[in-house]
Amino acid sequence: MADEANNPSTIDRRRFLSVLGVSGAGAAVLAGCSTDRVQKLIPYLVQSEDQVPGVATWYASTCTECAAGCGLHVKTREGRAVKLEGNPEHPVNRGKLCSRGQAALQGLYNPGRITGPMARAAGGGFQEITWDDAIQRLAAKVSSAGGKVAVISGAGRGTLSDLLADWTTALGGRVARYRPFDHEPLRAANKAVFGRDELPAHDFGKAQYIVSFGADFLETWLAPVENQRGFAQSHGFHDGRMARHVAFAPRMSLTAQNADEWHPIRPGSEAALALALANVLVTEHGASAGSFGASLAGFTPEIAAKESGVSVEAIRRIGAELAAAKPSLAVAGGVASQHRGAIEVCTAVAILNWVAGNVGQTVLFGADLDAGDGAHAIDAIGSALDAGQVAVLLVHEANPLYALPASLGFAARFAKAGFKVSTSPYLDETAAQCDLLLPDHHSLERWDDARPRAGVVGLMQPVMEPVFKTMATGDVLLKTAQKVGGALAKFAAPTYEAHLKARWADFAKAQGQADAEGFWRAALQRGGVYTDRPAADVKPAAGAAAAYTAPAFDGSGEFYFAPHASSFLYDGRGTNKPWLLENPDPVTKITWHSWVEVHPETAARIDVRNGEILQLTSPQGSIEAPVYIYPGLHPDVLSVPLGFGHTEYGGYAKGRGVNALDLLAVKPGQSFVPYLSARVSVHKTGRYQKLASTEGNPRQLGRGIAEAMPVTLAAKGLGVKEAAAAEGHPEAEVNPERELEAIKGWAAEVQERTRKGDYAGDHPQWGMTIDLAKCTGCSACVTACYAENNIPTVGEDEIHRGRELTWMRIERYWEGGTAADKPIEARFVPMLCQHCASAPCEPVCPVYAAYHTPDGLNGQIYNRCVGTRYCANNCPYKVRYFNWYKYNERAWPEPLNLQLNPDVTVRARGVMEKCTFCIQRIRGAQDHARLEGRPLKDGEFTTACAQACPSDAIVFGDLHDPGSRVHQTSQDHRGYHVLEEVNTRPVITYLAKVTSGAEA
Amino acid sequence: MRKLVLIGAGAVVGAVAIGLGALGLTSGSSGAQASKVAPDSAKAPLLATGDTARLLGPRQPIFFRHDIHAGQYKIQCQYCHYSVAVSAEPGIPSMQTCMGCHTVIAGSDSSHKVEIKKLRDAWGQKKPIEWVRVHYVARHAHFPHMRHIKALGPNACQTCHGDVARMPQIYKVNNVNNMGFCISCHMQRNVTRDCSACHY
Repeated sequence: MADEANNPSTIDRRRFLSVLGVSGAGAAVLAGCSTDRVQKLIPYLVQSEDQVPGVATWYASTCTECAAGCGLHVKTREGRAVKLEGNPEHPVNRGKLCSRGQAALQGLYNPGRITGPMARAAGGGFQEITWDDAIQRLAAKVSSAGGKVAVISGAGRGTLSDLLADWTTALGGRVARYRPFDHEPLRAANKAVFGRDELPAHDFGKAQYIVSFGADFLETWLAPVENQRGFAQSHGFHDGRMARHVAFAPRMSLTAQNADEWHPIRPGSEAALALALANVLVTEHGASAGSFGASLAGFTPEIAAKESGVSVEAIRRIGAELAAAKPSLAVAGGVASQHRGAIEVCTAVAILNWVAGNVGQTVLFGADLDAGDGAHAIDAIGSALDAGQVAVLLVHEANPLYALPASLGFAARFAKAGFKVSTSPYLDETAAQCDLLLPDHHSLERWDDARPRAGVVGLMQPVMEPVFKTMATGDVLLKTAQKVGGALAKFAAPTYEAHLKARWADFAKAQGQADAEGFWRAALQRGGVYTDRPAADVKPAAGAAAAYTAPAFDGSGEFYFAPHASSFLYDGRGTNKPWLLENPDPVTKITWHSWVEVHPETAARIDVRNGEILQLTSPQGSIEAPVYIYPGLHPDVLSVPLGFGHTEYGGYAKGRGVNALDLLAVKPGQSFVPYLSARVSVHKTGRYQKLASTEGNPRQLGRGIAEAMPVTLAAKGLGVKEAAAAEGHPEAEVNPERELEAIKGWAAEVQERTRKGDYAGDHPQWGMTIDLAKCTGCSACVTACYAENNIPTVGEDEIHRGRELTWMRIERYWEGGTAADKPIEARFVPMLCQHCASAPCEPVCPVYAAYHTPDGLNGQIYNRCVGTRYCANNCPYKVRYFNWYKYNERAWPEPLNLQLNPDVTVRARGVMEKCTFCIQRIRGAQDHARLEGRPLKDGEFTTACAQACPSDAIVFGDLHDPGSRVHQTSQDHRGYHVLEEVNTRPVITYLAKVTSGAEA
Repeated sequence: MRKLVLIGAGAVVGAVAIGLGALGLTSGSSGAQASKVAPDSAKAPLLATGDTARLLGPRQPIFFRHDIHAGQYKIQCQYCHYSVAVSAEPGIPSMQTCMGCHTVIAGSDSSHKVEIKKLRDAWGQKKPIEWVRVHYVARHAHFPHMRHIKALGPNACQTCHGDVARMPQIYKVNNVNNMGFCISCHMQRNVTRDCSACHY
C-alpha cells in the first residue's frame, strides 16, 4: 500500500475519488463538510412536546392566498414550516393545492416583509418603533377620530373580519371588504335572475358538457383547485367516455387550452352566444324556457354569429350537444371577460343554466362562496375620503393603490385620509403611503378562522414562531380597544386567541356540542368543521329577462386591450414570490417579466417578432412590453398579464414588468372594474428584449411526445399505435427492417442485463403514470417540486441562457392550427426524469455519479458528480439540469432559506441535478416502515408532484406490487412511453390524452 | 394548544418511553481511555486540571462528563439522546432535561460544582449551552440513526461513537464522516451499499 500511495502512476480509482471527494465535498454543501470548521450543537432550553428533531410535525390550517379557502397541511421541521400541502379532509380542495397556495411559504419567509412596527418619520421615511408605541399611536388617533374611521379589508369571512367590522362599527366607522377579483358581475347576475346575491358552488365533476364564456375556472375563477378536481373527474377519460368542454373567449387562457373546442369570439359578445344557445335549447330541443321565453325569442343563432364571429352551424351543433348532455354546466365571469357588459354575460349564462336544467344539479346555490363588498364599497370609502370624513384609515390585507386602476383616482382620495394605517406584512404600494405600519403575522403564524362557503369553517393556527417582530391584527385591535376604552371597552378578550376561542365556544353551542374544548380540538386537528349543505331550491326572480347590448370600449385604438389574470400572480400578490415568477406561465411559458400577446396574423401584418418591444397606448397612457406571438387570440385582441408593474412590494416585485391596469379608463361609481374595456393603438419601439421563455419547439414534429386519441377510439380500448393506425396514420417507418431487427436484439440484451444482480429479487420498482387526459398544465406539480427539493430559482438572466433548473417542467405543444379544418389544440406533457431502465445518462458518467439503484431509480450522487455534463448531453428527454453558478448562495436570501427542506441536499455549483422521484420521501417511508417492522404499503407516501396534482393525473408507486395503483394504471391501454423508439425503457408511462373532437 | 395532525406524535412519544424502559447501560469494549478505570468499576475517576489537558477531543463550554453520567450513574443514552430510536437525529438534551436533575444535584466536589454552576447560570439567563459538535456526517449524506438502533439494538451507540461511558470528554474514536467507515460495516453485515441509500 505504501508503495502504491507513493507512486502516482498507480493511483487507483478509489484514491482518485477520495481526493475528488474532499474538494468536491467542500463545495457540495452549505455547511458541515469542511473538517476545520467548528460546528455548534445548540440545545433547546425547553423541548417542545410537539417537535422531535428530524421528524416532521404537521399542522392543519387554511390557505389565504385567494377567496377559495382551501385546507392546508403544513409540514414543519424543527419549528419551521417547510412545505404546504392540501388537507385531504377539506371539502374544497381534498388534499390538493395550487401553485399560489404552495408559494404562500415564500410569502411567510419573504425578504420583503416588514420586520416590525414602523411610523412615518419627519423626514418622510419610516422609523422603527416599539409595539407599545405603535398601539399607543393608533389608540390616540382612534380616540380623537370621533367616529371618522374607515377600514379597507381584503380578509376573507371569518372571526377577524367580524371583529374588524364590530370594532369599526362600535367607533361609528365603516368597513369596505374589498378584493380585486371579487366576481361582482356574477353576484349581480344571480341577484337579477334568481334573486340571490351570492356566488354559488359549481360541480364540474358531475357535468357532462361544460361551456365556458371567458371564465378561467382552472386559473382564478372562484375555487380553482376544486374546479380542476371536478374538471379532471368529468373531462378525464373513464369508462369509455368523457365530458366535453367548449370555450368561448377572445383569448385562449389555460382553461381554454383545456377545451375540446375554443372559439375566438369578438370581445363582449358572450351574452349573445349564451342567449342563442338557450334559444336553440328551447326552440329546437324542447327545453322549457319558463319565464324567459319572451325575452329569449329574439336571440337567434344568426344574431349571435354576427356578433361573435362563431358560425351559425357551430352554435346549432353546440346547442344540440348541450341538449343531449345532462347535466351540463355553463360558466361565465372572471377577470378576462369582465367588460362593461359583464353582468349581462353572467345573466345570460345564468339563464342558459336554468334552461338547460343545471341549476340545482351543477350550479349549487346556498353554498354562498366568500365574496367581498365589491367595488361600490371602496367607492363609498372614496366618497367619505373626499368629504373629509375619514380621520383614520386602516388598510388590512388589501392593496388598493396597486389593484385599482390609476384612472379611478383612488390614490388622490386615499391621500386625504387624516391618518393612514397599514397592517400589510409587506411594504406594498398602499403601505408605502401610510403613516403607521403595523405588520400582521403571516397566516401561518397566527390564529384565525375562515368561512369560505356555507358549511365550511376552516381554522388557522400558528405553525411556528413568527419570523419577524410582527403582531396579529386581531391582537392589535384588542390592545387598541383596551387603550381607547369607551365604545371599544366591550372588546375585553386578553388576546385574539382567547377571542377566537370564545367565538368558537359559541359556535360549539350553536352546533349542539356540549364539550366546547373537545369541539375546538377536534376542529383544530381536522383543520375545521365541515358539514354538507343541500343545494338551495331557487326559482327565477320576477322580471328577470335576457338582454344583450354590445359593450362599449374606451378609445379608438385598433386593438381590444384584454388584460388577463395570471394564474400565478393573481391580483398581483404573487409577484413577490420567486417560485411564481420562475415557474413558467402555464400559457406562454414566459418567466419573470411582462409580455404582450399578439396573434400571428396580426404580428405579420404589423410586422413584429417575438421579443420586439411594443408600445400600447390608450387614452389613459401607454405601456411597453415585449411581444409574444400567441396563436390563442382573436386577431383584434392584444393581451397582457395582470400582476406585474409593482412600484413597491419588495425586491422581487418592484419595477418588474408593467401594470396593465394603467391603460384602463375607469370612472368611480361602477359596481366592478371593467378590465376588458379599452382599445389601444400600437407603436413599434424598434427595441428588443429577449423573452425569458422556457419554451422549446412549440411543435412535436412527429416525435410522438404528447400523444392523443379521439374518445371514440379510446372507448374501444385501443392503444396509441392502434388508434393512430385506425385514424389512417400508420407508424412511420423510421428504421429499415434490419435496423429494427438489430435494435430488437439489443433491447432484449439490455432487458436481460437489468434483471440480473441486485436488480433482481424483491426490490421495489418505483414507477409513475401520468394521465394526459387529466393533466391541465396548471404547473402545481412544478411548484411542489421547487418546494420539496430545494430547487433554486436562477433568475431572468440565467433563463435567457437556457439555464433553468426545474426538475419537472410542463411542455406545451401545439397541434393543428395550420389549416382551417384543423383547429389549434394545446397538449401538455409533464416532463421529468424518466428513470429509464436502460438510461443513456448512466454509461457516459465517468465517475459513476449517474447510476441505477436496486429499486429502479436513476440515481444521481451529487458528491460524486464532477460536472462533466456528459449525462445531460446524452439524455434524450433533456431532464438533467446543471447547476452553473452558486445559485444556492443567491436563490434564498434570508429568510427564504428557512424554507429549505432539511431532508434534501442543497446542491452547489458544478453539480448535475434532476428529478429523484423524491427519494427522500421513499427513504423516509422505508425508514418508517422498518421501524414498525412492516413492508411499505401502496399509497403510504407519494412524490411531491403527485401529491400536489389537483387533477390527480400523476400516480406513483411500486410497479412490482401487483396490487398497487400505479401497477394498474401502467397497464392502461392508452399507456405509452415518450421516445419509446430509443429503447430507454422509461418507468414513467404516459396515458394518451383523449380528445372529444368536433363531431360535425 | 397546537395539535398534531399527521404522522403520530403518540406513536413517537410512546416509542421513546418504551425505549427508555427497555434500555440498559452502554457497556462492553474498551475505548482509548478505558485503561484509567477497570471495566466493571462504576466509579468515574476524579480528574485534576492537569489530567484534563491530556484528554482527547474538543474542550466543551461545560466539562460535561459522559463517564459520570453514562458510566458511574448508568443513565441510559436515550434518556438524553431521546430521539435516536425514532428519528434520523439522535437529539441532544434540552437544558430543561439537564436541570431536571441539576436543580437538586449541585456536585460532590469543587471541580464538579464549578461546572454545574455554569449550567445553572446559563439556565438562569435562559441561554442555551453551545456544545462543540464532535460527530457529524457531511450534509450530502443522510445517516438515519433510528435504522441503526433498530438493526443493532439500543446499546449500539458505541459501534460508531466508542465507549462513551468511559470518556470524561467526548472525542472522535471513529471518523464517522469517512464513507469507508460506513461501508466496511455495511460490507461486513452484507447490507445495502447503494449510493442512494444515504446520498440524496
